[in-house]
Amino acid sequence: MKLLIKTNQFYFIFLLLVSPAMIAVDYYLIQYIVNSEVNEILAHESQRIQFHLQQEGELPQSNYIFDVRPVMESLPSGKRIVDTLIFDAYSNKLIPYRKYDFTVQTESEKLNVSLSHILLEMNELIVWLFAATALILILLATGLFFINRKIAKWAWKPFHNNLSKLKHYDITNKEPVQLEASGISEFEELSKVISKLMTQVKKDFQNLKEFNENISHEMQTPLAIVRNKMVQLLESPNLSDQERHSVQAAYQEVNKLSKIGKSLTLISRIENQEFKRIDKVELHNLIDNITSNMAEIIDYKQLEMVADLQPVVIKCDLILANILFTNLIKNAIQHNHEGGFIKMCLNEKKFDIENSGKILTTDTNQLFNRFRKGSSATDTLGLGLAINQKICELYNFQLDYHHEEGIHRISLVF
Amino acid sequence: MKILVIEDNVELLLDIKRYLEQEGYVCEIAPNYESAYMKVGIFPYDILVVDISLPDGNGLDIIREVKKENIDAGIIIISAKNAVGDKIYGLEIGADDYLTKPFYLSELNARIKALYRRKIYKGSQEIVFNEIRIKPERYEVYVNDQLLTLTKKEFDIIHFFVANKNRLLTKEAIAEHIWGDHIEMSDSFKFIYTHLANLRKKIAELGGKDYIKSIYRVGYKFTDLE
Repeated sequence: MKLLIKTNQFYFIFLLLVSPAMIAVDYYLIQYIVNSEVNEILAHESQRIQFHLQQEGELPQSNYIFDVRPVMESLPSGKRIVDTLIFDAYSNKLIPYRKYDFTVQTESEKLNVSLSHILLEMNELIVWLFAATALILILLATGLFFINRKIAKWAWKPFHNNLSKLKHYDITNKEPVQLEASGISEFEELSKVISKLMTQVKKDFQNLKEFNENISHEMQTPLAIVRNKMVQLLESPNLSDQERHSVQAAYQEVNKLSKIGKSLTLISRIENQEFKRIDKVELHNLIDNITSNMAEIIDYKQLEMVADLQPVVIKCDLILANILFTNLIKNAIQHNHEGGFIKMCLNEKKFDIENSGKILTTDTNQLFNRFRKGSSATDTLGLGLAINQKICELYNFQLDYHHEEGIHRISLVF
Repeated sequence: MKILVIEDNVELLLDIKRYLEQEGYVCEIAPNYESAYMKVGIFPYDILVVDISLPDGNGLDIIREVKKENIDAGIIIISAKNAVGDKIYGLEIGADDYLTKPFYLSELNARIKALYRRKIYKGSQEIVFNEIRIKPERYEVYVNDQLLTLTKKEFDIIHFFVANKNRLLTKEAIAEHIWGDHIEMSDSFKFIYTHLANLRKKIAELGGKDYIKSIYRVGYKFTDLE
């Protein structure tokens, strides 16, 4: 949910709760003010009447006088305010009045004077109050809503711009991401933190990459020496079988290590985008070359080879294309059983390679990760597909693996 | 044949020297740019083996110097870097071959021989080992003057063997020679084994002797010595 909608929701709930309360408060306030005003008028009038009576000895003319009647002497004198409904013959309905009763003493008798003043019709008052308040609230709310939206759009613009920049952030990209200045301190702070984070991440990534490169690079010369010494040892006639066996086992492992080193170097070189050449690679010829280079091992495993290759030219580095297709074809040979088959299909859109083979035990999604092997064969390193993946990432090719009842298919979509 | 090996790691340098001297070459060494530069300027060499990263300079500069001075020597670059740029650049400025560390000494030896043959005999020289004759430029092998029908890989193997005669060739070195880098082929040892069996049979059919001795679990040796 958008932040704006979220905050507006709270405002809306607040208004919903507060407006009835406002109307109630309004109602009582107005009622109180009107009543006290009426009381004041009536009280004032009663004082005027009493004053007049004292001076002139008779009741004055007054519009407020509702009723005057004599009362018993013995009754206590006092004032009384009551509300009452009086039937109005003109409009044929009951109208609320406030009555103010008080007693006055004339020379001859004691009189009870009743003054009256029309009161507001509260029902109508409520309706109109409600309508007015509601109108004001609605106007206020819509106005605020639109203003708020405009403000949000304007104020959040740098945020959204930066967000879309961050969405396209690529750690391997050498260009640093330039975040837009917003002039809003919260966003500025956020930008600062993100910039710092990115620099740190980039630095770490760079360090890690360099470390990888250095380690796979620096270990090559020592490995070469170890390997040469071992061959010298193996050539020595004085070695017992047991010793020769040990040296041979160590030699094998050193070889594996050197292969790992070379493959990792290749991966980091692809990641570093050292392969910048754009060759026009004739894939059908490339694949023909690779298969003829492997023809003998294909014969040796008695694999049936079916190839349907249309002439396709793609633009990429020839060396990488060679590695990619060699790896794909080699895998199809390697993970095959004797007398199996390989089917290749190449067209403008994609390259499919299908081979018979054992059913895989590893999770196929992880197959492209480094050191992930499809079989437990110890003499493969599991780096071939990781290299392929890197090459495909470089050229935005898509590599899909599909496997069904002992038939493995890898599709390379250009 | 006179070879100068320029390499900053002395241990590796001595290994290469020992291996090449056993092949009967005159092998001199230079552990840094300074001494390499001096030796190249004074003595004539047939082959230079040059490491690119030297402590006091760049091997590529030596190659440039050699080319500038018109010194007629074959050049093989050995580098741990395996950077495409270096490789292409090295070959562009006149190097003849490029080997990535770690390499097998048998591979270096084969490359040196091939380069020497290309340089001196323009590739037309035959390699002779008793009754076996190899014409490398035509991919032909003769046993007792009869043409041996071989597949491409079988030719590669026997060529590699003869270039490294009397030396132990490990299965790994053979596999890398015929398949190249970056290909880890789990079947390749079995494949080599089968091909060697075929080779033995084919050579025997033409009256050749069996020179391929298998060294238990490790590899093979092509030798006429007992």
